[in-house]
Amino acid sequence: MPPDRTAAPPRVLHPPELRSDPPREAGVPTAATEGLRSLGRPGAIALIFALLSGLLTHAYHLFDYPLYQTDEGIYMERAWAVIREHGLSPQTYVYDHAPAGWLMIAGWVELLPGHFEAFGNPVNSGRVLMVILHVASTFFLFEIARKLTGGLLAPLIATFFFNFSFLAVYYQRMALLDNIMVFWVLLSVYLPLRRRGHLFTGLWSGLAFGTSVVTKENAIFFAPAIFYLVYRQTKENSNKSFVITFWLIGASAPIVTYFLYATLKGELFPKDFSFNLSKPPQGHVSLLYEMWYQIHRNSGTLFTPNSSGLQPDYLYTSWLPRDPYLLVGGTIAMLICLWVGWHQRQENPAWLVAGGLAFGIAFYLARGSVILDFYVIPLIPLYALCIALVADRMLKRIPVATAVPSITILCAVLLLVPSGGSPDGGYLLKHGQQGQLQLADPYHVPQTFMQNSEIAWVRHNIPTNARIVSDDDIWVALHDVKPVYPYDQSHWNAASDPQVRKKIFGGGNWEYIDYFVMSNGMLQAMQLNNGSTSTSSGIEAYMLYALKYHSSMVWSVNRGQVHLQIWKVNH
Amino acid sequence: MLDLIYAVLVLVSVLVTVQSAHTLYLTLYTWDRPPAEAQAPDKFKPPRLSFTVMLPARHEEEVIQATIGRVAESNYPQELIQILVICRADDQGTIDMAEEKIGQLRQHGLRNVEMVVFRDEPINKPHGLNAALPHAAKDVLAVFDAEDDIHPDIFNVVNTVMEEEEVKVVQGGVQLMNFDSSWYSALNVLEYFFWFKSRLHYHARLGAIPLGGNTVFFERSLIVELGGWDEHNLTEDAEIGLRLSAAGERIRVVYDSRYVTREETPPTLGHFLRQRTRWSQGFLQTLHQGSWRNLQTRRQRFLAFYTLAFPQAQALLGLYVLFSIGTMFYFKAPVLVALISFLPVMMLLAYFLICTVGLYEFTRAYGMKVYPRVVIGMLIAWIPYQLVIAYASMRAVGRQMRGVSNWEKTRHIGAHRQQVAYRTESLREAGDRAA
Repeated sequence: MPPDRTAAPPRVLHPPELRSDPPREAGVPTAATEGLRSLGRPGAIALIFALLSGLLTHAYHLFDYPLYQTDEGIYMERAWAVIREHGLSPQTYVYDHAPAGWLMIAGWVELLPGHFEAFGNPVNSGRVLMVILHVASTFFLFEIARKLTGGLLAPLIATFFFNFSFLAVYYQRMALLDNIMVFWVLLSVYLPLRRRGHLFTGLWSGLAFGTSVVTKENAIFFAPAIFYLVYRQTKENSNKSFVITFWLIGASAPIVTYFLYATLKGELFPKDFSFNLSKPPQGHVSLLYEMWYQIHRNSGTLFTPNSSGLQPDYLYTSWLPRDPYLLVGGTIAMLICLWVGWHQRQENPAWLVAGGLAFGIAFYLARGSVILDFYVIPLIPLYALCIALVADRMLKRIPVATAVPSITILCAVLLLVPSGGSPDGGYLLKHGQQGQLQLADPYHVPQTFMQNSEIAWVRHNIPTNARIVSDDDIWVALHDVKPVYPYDQSHWNAASDPQVRKKIFGGGNWEYIDYFVMSNGMLQAMQLNNGSTSTSSGIEAYMLYALKYHSSMVWSVNRGQVHLQIWKVNH
Repeated sequence: MLDLIYAVLVLVSVLVTVQSAHTLYLTLYTWDRPPAEAQAPDKFKPPRLSFTVMLPARHEEEVIQATIGRVAESNYPQELIQILVICRADDQGTIDMAEEKIGQLRQHGLRNVEMVVFRDEPINKPHGLNAALPHAAKDVLAVFDAEDDIHPDIFNVVNTVMEEEEVKVVQGGVQLMNFDSSWYSALNVLEYFFWFKSRLHYHARLGAIPLGGNTVFFERSLIVELGGWDEHNLTEDAEIGLRLSAAGERIRVVYDSRYVTREETPPTLGHFLRQRTRWSQGFLQTLHQGSWRNLQTRRQRFLAFYTLAFPQAQALLGLYVLFSIGTMFYFKAPVLVALISFLPVMMLLAYFLICTVGLYEFTRAYGMKVYPRVVIGMLIAWIPYQLVIAYASMRAVGRQMRGVSNWEKTRHIGAHRQQVAYRTESLREAGDRAA
């Protein structure tokens, strides 16, 4: 008789170091696992509410408020160059930003029947894309919060701030790289939570993250938290090494492509490998030099602006007045998330992930460098997420009968109480100048009509061969609609692009300027750009000279703190 | 004209990128599936099925005795196992060694090993298998190679899988082990690792599988019905797998690091080249022979065609690698075209990274250790290895066109046994238990 080996398989024959793969789903029991259950009817209603409120708050009054910003104009004109000239910029592309953002805008505009004029002013085409991306981002944020907590309260709170905050509505409507970057970052976070441990999720999440970096470089500050999330989501899986490698491959691919582009153009290194910041190398632009330059730019910190006084104090003059609740509450919530997350990281990585994401971008803003007002954009969804996590934990400790009315009242106060501690009023209502109750500015104040009037005046009164110094926000309108103004250039390019400066403005001669089409914001930027760094010293002087001594104002419009003017240079 | 060249460059680059992405997907397919799909059962059913083990051998004096010993001493009732050592009459060396081993086993009371000696032609493995088929008397045919280092529980695994899942064909895992013995061995080992652990599962799931040459188990009646192996095909294993697939037969692949059959990489580059040539030519023969056209769905037929034609594509890819290197230095293309033409290079880098991780996974699974120098060596060998494979594919096409189809034998020296000598003691212990 053969020995009976069926009852106990003779495993003793195997060397102990031979290991079999652990089960795929033996993951860390976190709230993320619980959150994978289906939405259900209440969840579906909550999600639809979040998406609809995001759509309404951002789409209503979109083309009227806020004023078209310089940076919106820059990215629209670069998208214009992609479509019309098959290049990355109508002027010299200086590697100031990676191009994925305006390539996306160009792709979107290409789809529109009327291209740049589909919605009137060319910037509107970009703004419509921002609304679409915002709705998609709202979905990602809702799902991220749901999967991190396993409930519906956190996603509702997070998307409430993301959709209604004055800070959010104001900046998220603008056609900016930061908004596109937020979309990719949230997608990158959402994917590993959606399909835990699946192999190709790592690749797609990495690709989304890599795309976010080549959309706006500061997305790199999210890398540690997202990588940690991917690591935690696969920690117990047999395929973890491949998932993590795929994430790294996906994240690297767009970035490597960007560097490869510069290499193929012969623009990776500066001429003679010179990284001297006080004496910029001549000859050609360089990706690495530009990065070196950007790293060394400094205009004080967020809390202590530079001594020149020209760099606006955005934290106190722009961000906090628009939404102190989100910024103060978000900072406190982020610290709580980090504290709790660190101490509970073994059991539940959700808090550390949320806190880490917010901390990454908060650190970027606080560390001290050049800050523009819309740089706050990536902070908004992550502060909203941190607040949601903390509120969710707190409200779970009190009875439902108390929690539901409390949260309802709090949201109603934020939406409807016209002042409530914020100079700009509540999220939806505010008091007007005569004390009357009115909708908050994003849903009430028209601003962009001034720029459209300005463009109309130019078309009626200025010949097309005039050499115009203007701001980027009207550039596409003057170059895409016939008759075009080929000699209209922004003051940035008239100052710093050697080709524009030499060919149109006589190498920096005020007599070559015919008109200034400008705002008070542009004048401030010109003064700042003229002497803010050692490399920019005096580059706008010839324009400021022409404006001060040889120009007369021929048109103007004023509304609140916005002053648009057209000046004719008298030769 | 220049525009046409750019268009071709872009088209080829995109096609190669898509193909590389698909290959990468197949390479890692199993890591995206629940591990249970590929693993062996954790508990064995009582032995019920009987096995005829077919051991074709030619000039295998160095390894045949150990292989016979391992099969004979497996953890399975000896009355349920019949071992047929298959040799041609002119290979007296192997016959002598095999008979010596059979004598030794008989002294230990193991009398289930027989010699099958054939005298006719062709001289190749499928003919040997066909010659032995009439002597096979058990339920299941098991094919092993002469150098195979089988796991003593492999028959328990197959018995359980066939019984529980009601399948008639099982492909067991085969793994080259000596990843550190030559400049190409790590890459060769990884090919086996990814092929048996991952890609074959995809083929099995789709129902178009080119089977491997050993550790493969068939219900005997199936092979008899099919008329045995194709004696004029250099990859009769792949061919019979596709024939079985076309007949609608469900095939189960079991790759479990605990139960794989261990093999060695070819000892010299020449042997490696000849082995690759044989495989490529065999695939080419199978492609022309056309049994894959009988597969039921278009998807199955495409997969079979893609797999069989791939060695020829590899030959072209080898040429493309040389062409690409040339264009880097002598051809100035627009930036966008140049960027797109870099996509295959990026896929190549991605594939290398995956292989590096794969090497660590492989060594982890088998309790071995990999040193950074092996990874660096793999990086250096990467392109030459692709070129060798491409050359083998071109050589196969040349042989096929000249009508040359003799079996170029791969020499075996037992390097895998030297590398994993620690396992011998365990196996001997198993033999003692079985005895």
